[in-house]
Amino acid sequence: MSKNDGSSFEVVRLWALRLFVMTRKELLQLGRDVPLLLFLLYSFSLSVYISGAGIAMQLSNASLLVHDGDHSESSRELIHRFREPYFRFDGDVSDPKEGLARLDRGTAMVLLDIPPRFHESILGREPVTVQLQVDTTNAPQGLSAAAYAARIVGGFSFDLALSRLGAASNNEMPMPMVESAHRVWFNKDQDETWFQSISHILRMITLFAFLLPAAALVREKEHGTVEQLLVSPVTPLQIMLSKVLAMTLVILAATTLSMVTVLKPVFGVPIKGSVALFFLVTMLYTFTIAGLGLFAATVTKNQAQVGMIALLVIAPMLLLSGITTPFEAMPPWVQSLMALSPLRYYIDVTYGVLLKGVGLELLWDSILTMALLGGVLFGLGLWRFRRQFA
Amino acid sequence: MNLGRIPAVATEEWKETVRDRLFLLMAFLLPPLWMVVFGHGLVLDVEHVPFAVLDRDQSSMSRDYLYRFMGSRYFDYHGSVKDAREIDRLLGDTAIRMAIIVPDRFQEQLLAGRPVTVQTLLDGTFPLHADTLKGYVIAINHAFTQELLTGFLARTRGLGPEEAHRIAEPVSIETRYLYNQEVRSTWSMVPALIMFSMMVASPLLTALGVVREKETGSIYNIYSATVSKAEFLIGKLVPYFVISTINVVVLWLLAVLIFRVPFKGSFPVFLTASLLFVLCATGIGLIISLLVRTQMAALIITIIIAMVPTILFSGLLVPVSSLSPGAQMQAHLFPAMYYTDVVRGSFLKGLELEDTWTDLLALGGFAVVLRLVAYGLFTKRPKV
Repeated sequence: MSKNDGSSFEVVRLWALRLFVMTRKELLQLGRDVPLLLFLLYSFSLSVYISGAGIAMQLSNASLLVHDGDHSESSRELIHRFREPYFRFDGDVSDPKEGLARLDRGTAMVLLDIPPRFHESILGREPVTVQLQVDTTNAPQGLSAAAYAARIVGGFSFDLALSRLGAASNNEMPMPMVESAHRVWFNKDQDETWFQSISHILRMITLFAFLLPAAALVREKEHGTVEQLLVSPVTPLQIMLSKVLAMTLVILAATTLSMVTVLKPVFGVPIKGSVALFFLVTMLYTFTIAGLGLFAATVTKNQAQVGMIALLVIAPMLLLSGITTPFEAMPPWVQSLMALSPLRYYIDVTYGVLLKGVGLELLWDSILTMALLGGVLFGLGLWRFRRQFA
Repeated sequence: MNLGRIPAVATEEWKETVRDRLFLLMAFLLPPLWMVVFGHGLVLDVEHVPFAVLDRDQSSMSRDYLYRFMGSRYFDYHGSVKDAREIDRLLGDTAIRMAIIVPDRFQEQLLAGRPVTVQTLLDGTFPLHADTLKGYVIAINHAFTQELLTGFLARTRGLGPEEAHRIAEPVSIETRYLYNQEVRSTWSMVPALIMFSMMVASPLLTALGVVREKETGSIYNIYSATVSKAEFLIGKLVPYFVISTINVVVLWLLAVLIFRVPFKGSFPVFLTASLLFVLCATGIGLIISLLVRTQMAALIITIIIAMVPTILFSGLLVPVSSLSPGAQMQAHLFPAMYYTDVVRGSFLKGLELEDTWTDLLALGGFAVVLRLVAYGLFTKRPKV
């Protein structure tokens, strides 16, 4: 080995050593902040459990009031079909006005109004209409309740028609109809805990990956210690990289914690794809978001400003990237804006790996886009940081 | 308590806030910006769902059937595939969310008066979507069946189309959407966004205001000064209370003038609730600031505490009534839920004081309790 090789090896070793020392310093500093650590633990364990177990966006137990103007066999049969898990029968009202007052107060969601002579009309083969009033202050839930109600009444009506036709012709008469057979893939039973708990972890990763490094860098700026670092032999790249490395390690550890303590044992999320791939992508994602956070830290002077920038950037990412709402329905300008959000791609990869069990062959484009975004963001942050201090 | 000292603390805090131009700009800019972006962009409706079809029948009737999906605003046609394996790939890659498989002899069976089963494959990663999609598919199948049956009865029994229709559909349903007749998710979103903006920005402003003094050590000036605990805590809040109050009014104007959400209730009730809520939100920030030592911790904990329960447990996206008991408890322990009730009620339902006083009381209670806790936590003789 020539002398030259030896010294370049020495340079690399020194570089790595410095990076390691800096990273350790970040970890030590974070380790001293006990309230923050406790909160980190809570966020990735109990908080994941609460969101996973607690949130059901699918219609369940919508409180139903009935004004039965008929009190007949037929009306009772129809009411009986509105049942759990979608509707919860919350009582009869003698006057529709009373029902509306309860909808006003928000103590009931749906009012079903069955007209007088309902049974008679059915027997007399006159068409009859039941009325449904739905509280749509929460639009999606209201629509969902209306859809279920329409399905129930439609089924009731169809059964009636069939039995009547069957009775008229006195034999099992064939009828043309299109029946629906659904197969739900990747989450057969539509178990919402899987979706909600994974979403919650994605939210937490995003928040911490942005805030931890950004706050750590701004703190150094505020306290003036960044100048001390810059006169020391570490380079701006090492300063930034050490923060990202330290925080990435912490976040990966926290993610592991929530997977082994909540996702697998409590909710039984089937981890179908490769766990290694998931962690690699999570690392890439944390890097990307940390790059964004460091960039934010370079344009701000103090923690309050970083906080505001975080709100400015992270809130839209969390709400519009597709973890809380369906992405396809967003207006086109939101979709093009969110093409810049790394979370948009990370969501696809995470659900792809964890629930669908797909691998690189389908996900490479999302991963590549994310890596590109991460590289650009990190590069921008480094460039700003150098310009500011070096 | 010396009332003269409160303005002094408030003035100091105010100067400190105003001097930070970027911070001040964001404090006033963020809430309206959020309202515009989320008000327009946060669409909760399940629409434009990409789907593919596998038509094994290729008949005129199967095409007529599939056109009903293609023509619907709920679905976006992504193409036709030749075999089922391609569906696997498209679903795995999230290129489509649903696939419809029309069996062979679809037309033949139906014309002969026999039932046919159409299979739909749904992406279940987001269960709410899968559920909504199922509803759409069933509705389309139901309507298609009604028409088939009407036509079939007309043909086989020689009935007129009206008569046949009456037999095919003896009971129908008429739905009225209350408070939001066109079921626009904007209308349910925008009032709740007032809550979201207030809840997320104000605690952060307050928390950092106090921790900054702790971290830079200037809090020792307060410890050694004659200013009392209560004076300090009240004085600190004044600037953020003023900023938040201005923001509430601006957001209200935006909702009414730009988004044209009807405001049916009483403005005094709305304003009272908003002021109480601002007191709660700033109170949460204050408590966090007293529990932590570093701005970094204050920043992270406030943002997460403010953002996560506000998104999940306030009624913003999911009605509190459909949460599990545990999550409902958490929702009730958090002031955002009560305020969401008042804001949505005031806008869409036209609720007055007699309908909302319990919520106002709860908000008032939170404001007082949070203040008392802050008073108890704050000490001018900290242990080092």
